[in-house]
Amino acid sequence: MMKKTLLSLLASVAVSAAATGALAQTPTDARIAVAITETISGHNPYADPVVLLSNVWCQVYGCVTRYDFDKNAFVPYLAESVLSVDPLTWEIRLPEGAKRHNGEPVLAQDIVHSIDYLGKNPSSGKSYLVAGWSKVEALDDRTVRITTATPDATVPDNLAGVAVTSKALYDQLGEAMFKDAPFGAGPYKLDEVSIGEHIVISRNDGHPMLSPKNPAQIMYRIMPEPEQRVTALANGEVQIAQSVPPQLMARVADMPNAQIATTNSVEMMFLAMSPKTHPWDRKEARQAVAHAINREAIVRAILQGQADLLNGPVSAGQIGHDAGFTSAYDYNPEKARALLQSAGLEGVEVTLSTPVGRYTADRQITEAMVPMLEAAGFKVTLDTPEWATLWANVQQGKVPFYYMGRGSMIDPSRALHQYFATGGSPRIGFSDPELDALLAAERSEFDPAARDQKMQAAVRHLVDAAPAAFMWQHKMAWGVSKEISFKPRPADQVNGWEVFVN
Amino acid sequence: MLLFAIRRLAGAVPVLVVVAAVVFTLMQFAPGDAVSMLISDEASDADKARIREAWGLDDPPLTQFLNFLGNAVTGDFGTSFKYKMPVMELVLERLPATIELALAATLVAVVIGIPLGVLAAARPGSFWDSFTSTFSFAGISMPNFWIGILLILLFAGHWHLLPSGGRAPWGMGLETMTGFLLLDALLQGRMDAFWGALKHLALPALVLGTNMTGIITQLTRASVQEALREDYVMTARAKGLGGMRILWRHAFRNALVGVVTIIGLEFGALLSGAMIVETVFAWPGIGSLLIQGISSRDYPLIIGLVLIYTAIFILVNLLIDLLYTLIDPRIRIN
Repeated sequence: MMKKTLLSLLASVAVSAAATGALAQTPTDARIAVAITETISGHNPYADPVVLLSNVWCQVYGCVTRYDFDKNAFVPYLAESVLSVDPLTWEIRLPEGAKRHNGEPVLAQDIVHSIDYLGKNPSSGKSYLVAGWSKVEALDDRTVRITTATPDATVPDNLAGVAVTSKALYDQLGEAMFKDAPFGAGPYKLDEVSIGEHIVISRNDGHPMLSPKNPAQIMYRIMPEPEQRVTALANGEVQIAQSVPPQLMARVADMPNAQIATTNSVEMMFLAMSPKTHPWDRKEARQAVAHAINREAIVRAILQGQADLLNGPVSAGQIGHDAGFTSAYDYNPEKARALLQSAGLEGVEVTLSTPVGRYTADRQITEAMVPMLEAAGFKVTLDTPEWATLWANVQQGKVPFYYMGRGSMIDPSRALHQYFATGGSPRIGFSDPELDALLAAERSEFDPAARDQKMQAAVRHLVDAAPAAFMWQHKMAWGVSKEISFKPRPADQVNGWEVFVN
Repeated sequence: MLLFAIRRLAGAVPVLVVVAAVVFTLMQFAPGDAVSMLISDEASDADKARIREAWGLDDPPLTQFLNFLGNAVTGDFGTSFKYKMPVMELVLERLPATIELALAATLVAVVIGIPLGVLAAARPGSFWDSFTSTFSFAGISMPNFWIGILLILLFAGHWHLLPSGGRAPWGMGLETMTGFLLLDALLQGRMDAFWGALKHLALPALVLGTNMTGIITQLTRASVQEALREDYVMTARAKGLGGMRILWRHAFRNALVGVVTIIGLEFGALLSGAMIVETVFAWPGIGSLLIQGISSRDYPLIIGLVLIYTAIFILVNLLIDLLYTLIDPRIRIN
């Protein structure tokens, strides 16, 4: 039986050492506000799949693992270790003496309960995290065993979304526990949730991940309008503003009290082409699209340089990125036209569907794509439905050609299976046995280096088959007050322990 | 009067049922799907089916509607798909914010619009008349979201005088009594909280009231001008009454019935206009809640909120009708 330690203790030991060194300082009583774009739907940490809020819940309750962007690996968060015992078995070990904010111990039964709630409760919006886990059991108070139906290397990724709530409190209070007794074991405690308005957390002094310079309190405040977020930053009402659009970046950069901090994202932007529909059943048509789009011009002129071109679905820092791989799809309208002609498709009518206001400059980008595609020989109609309509139709496989983004791709496995594996979902309807085999192989590989190689092979094959034309990853721009230090990460997260008051 | 009010309220019941039926039917035909919007895009088909069943979405539409109506008569509008809370609880939590905003906007409109309208009517063709016309047409024409963003940029971004959004300063520590922050602050003798809440209210109320100000100004001007041409005004002048007394006591008072009617109608429009203003200013009222409900296809929330809006509209109009008797003793309700 193989036993590989995928997640080491080093991360937590290093954090503890750093924290111990800092204990001599008096913790700051400064508080900060973060202007966010998403909604806050309630107290239940399992209800809403929004990335930023999931991350807030992880700070309160503690999630089993987290992604360390410095190490490019999943590391323990609440757990002490997560081990792959054999291809179908994982073991989670809790540290000795882990306690909740109310002093109660964190037990293996809590993890089992949390996974059970995620998978089965109708209030859970994230049951996909634990899909395919056939058995979850507590071996003792500190050890949990997960048995998967098939070998699954994405378990550490999925565990990063499992906030560990108390089984005892849930048995006692039921759903009311989330509101009345939100006692977690994370570095921050829940202070207040105002639905649709804000969520406030406060520092759990003594937690090993914290330093005295981390803010005493953090308010995540909904501000859906970018102008408002930026103005609130200028006005000192917030110290961090999420998602500053390209046209407002110069304003933030000119502010005496704030600055712009950018990072790459892990969200691929792409043009999906469903091979179940004409003309996308022809590979030449799909490849023609990839050659027809002048991505450099769009990034330069519309996105003002705030995006990185993709050679495939992933970029540096993500599993499966191959620095030596270059996409064959350069901007080449003549080649695009030739491909279309060779397939007898010149003048073929297509409809390009795009969300409006969902992604940065989405409508302007697709408007710019229309003449590019027409120059290659397509006859294009631009369709701009409301997001709810488009998204429902995409999920049902009713949209043949669309501009879309897919986030949460630190480990791209789930996304690639979802969009491109046979039966993964109806949204593209692509089927390629060779790609299926490559994707199955990467998911079954537990050695990180070997898995990276296998993912790279899948990516190369995917790019060649071109069920999607991979465009770019937006850079994420954050407005950050000069009163604090905050280095944004590719995931949409603001962790209190990564914010330092100057 | 009581009988009149009871009759009017009883008449509102079929209106509410029809509104519910229309909204429900429209939602059946609307593209999009609550499950797609509210569950992670990674959820399996089996998970989606499970959620659909739990939310009652796989029942026939008529069954869904009748279930809704049956519960609604007891005040239960169902549970929000998105917020996992009873719709009524959500609405009651946020309704005071919207009413407070709408009342403040109405106050802004009345305080600015009526004096301007009377002034313009008293001096037709003067500079003030031209200014009032320009001002009121600008108020009517400019879209709320544009004025909102402009004022945020000026008052918050440039002059740093007012906050850019939200309803109260962080950590105000005001105990919720009525849900109306200004009132709660006064009841608790917290002038610091009153001032903080007022600063947050100022910009959204001004923006929401802009359109209504323009309408009230125009209507007051026209009504007062018309009244000033009446015989009783000539009689008053012949009796030697002062200009201001004639203007305010006689002409304006007679013009008031029309103005009050439009204030009532516009108050209903303010509630719907508040959706945009609440979004621009991150104001936690039922307007922004409805926007979120629509964009996530949260059907119980949408129907519940539309019914609440309808009920408020009916109530406000009833109040306006009752108010007529106070303004003009010649009007009798039977």
